[in-house]
Amino acid sequence: MTFEDTDFRQETLDLENPFDVKLVKDFLFSLGFDFDPSDVECTMIVYNLKGDIVGTGSHMERILKYVVVSPKFRDTTAFALIVTYMTEKLLKIYKHTFVFTRPENSLPFTGLGFTEIAKAEPLYVLLEFGFESIITYQDYLRTLIIPAKTGEVAALVVNCNPFTNGHKFLIEKASSENEVVYLFVVEEDLSAFPFSVRWELIRKGISHLNNVVMVRGGMYIVSGSIFPAYFLKNEQVSDVMQKQAELDVRIFANYVVPILDIKRRYVGTEFSCKTTEAYNLAMKTILPQTGVEVIEVMRKAIGLDSDNGPDYISASKVREAIKTGKLDDVIDFLPDSTRDFLYSDDSLDIRKKIKEGKGRH
Amino acid sequence: MKPKIAAQSGTFESSDVIFLIEPLPDNSGRKLEISSTVMQQFGASFNRIVLEMLDSYEMTDIHLIAKDKGALEPTIKARLETAIKRSLEQQEGTLK
Repeated sequence: MTFEDTDFRQETLDLENPFDVKLVKDFLFSLGFDFDPSDVECTMIVYNLKGDIVGTGSHMERILKYVVVSPKFRDTTAFALIVTYMTEKLLKIYKHTFVFTRPENSLPFTGLGFTEIAKAEPLYVLLEFGFESIITYQDYLRTLIIPAKTGEVAALVVNCNPFTNGHKFLIEKASSENEVVYLFVVEEDLSAFPFSVRWELIRKGISHLNNVVMVRGGMYIVSGSIFPAYFLKNEQVSDVMQKQAELDVRIFANYVVPILDIKRRYVGTEFSCKTTEAYNLAMKTILPQTGVEVIEVMRKAIGLDSDNGPDYISASKVREAIKTGKLDDVIDFLPDSTRDFLYSDDSLDIRKKIKEGKGRH
Repeated sequence: MKPKIAAQSGTFESSDVIFLIEPLPDNSGRKLEISSTVMQQFGASFNRIVLEMLDSYEMTDIHLIAKDKGALEPTIKARLETAIKRSLEQQEGTLK
């Protein structure tokens, strides 16, 4: 029998310091993880009195990452210590915290009071803990419900980075074919255009449609970019992407669809973006099982492109045009609200940022 | 009294309990979310202890989350007292 050495010492590392980074990197590497310091904003480490590294934990915003305990210390309280330390810190800033991990590691977290939200076997499970939960988001959705007599209720999820005539066309089509349309706008601010701007441009652009309800995407309508993948380094990138999409679609199917009684989900066909393509595939597999019809709408094109193919409207082409300073070339892609915004001084900062090449696609 | 700030006390370890407290808008009463690994056996007494403590501090407009891992009565009381006092800004973390 071994006695339990619980005299642990905990320390926050200085991620600017190469020695500290090397310390945690070597420790994690020996256990099969590739530590990328740009992936996290704060890292803590636990030692025992002999100076052995017991475990480590990090976070990036509200997501816990790299929570790893050395196999020798897995029967101690080290894991609980690390998680408590991180949640205590995070819950002073955020309303709740998330963990993405492999399904087989779900139990230690549920044991600590985390709640499992969704699972995409065999790669991902998503858990949360805090003052707010997915129930809080469902309560928010309930405040937006518009009762539909015919049961023709549709949903769309858009990022609109920025809002184009393509989006407008898709929303108008859904609006004309359904009694009520719920339009989810991705809230995460990872795009070139911040959420408040995207929301405003859409709101102005669809004000003529009175059966469309705009819904904040919250923490649960996510884009693939927040998913950590460091614990999946032996998996195919395409598999990982597919599972991320699956996790996201399952959350939508299990928590959003029943509240709003959604019967159809509209998506645009995708040619260029692999992530969106993975999403569309996941939707077609999962949503019909919950009674939601997936309607893929052919992208709208205006005129011909340089290869004499149809010139499909896309937000990435608009961003490209901003980058190269040829906004006039894509003017036909833009609804009034976006056009006015892009030609006004209000968008100066955003245009500058895109020109400098910051912000993801 | 009404909590001023969000506060936490306790740990996730066995034989302990973690309390989270956050303020709610005025006149919204109490919102309690209690979960315990020993709910079946000791749920009633856990609820009683929490309510007695909240009553004795006359706490209202409070959102309280408890995740219990089989803590004993004195532990529960001490943790909750700390969480309440932290939320009232009467006490800071022990390391300060």
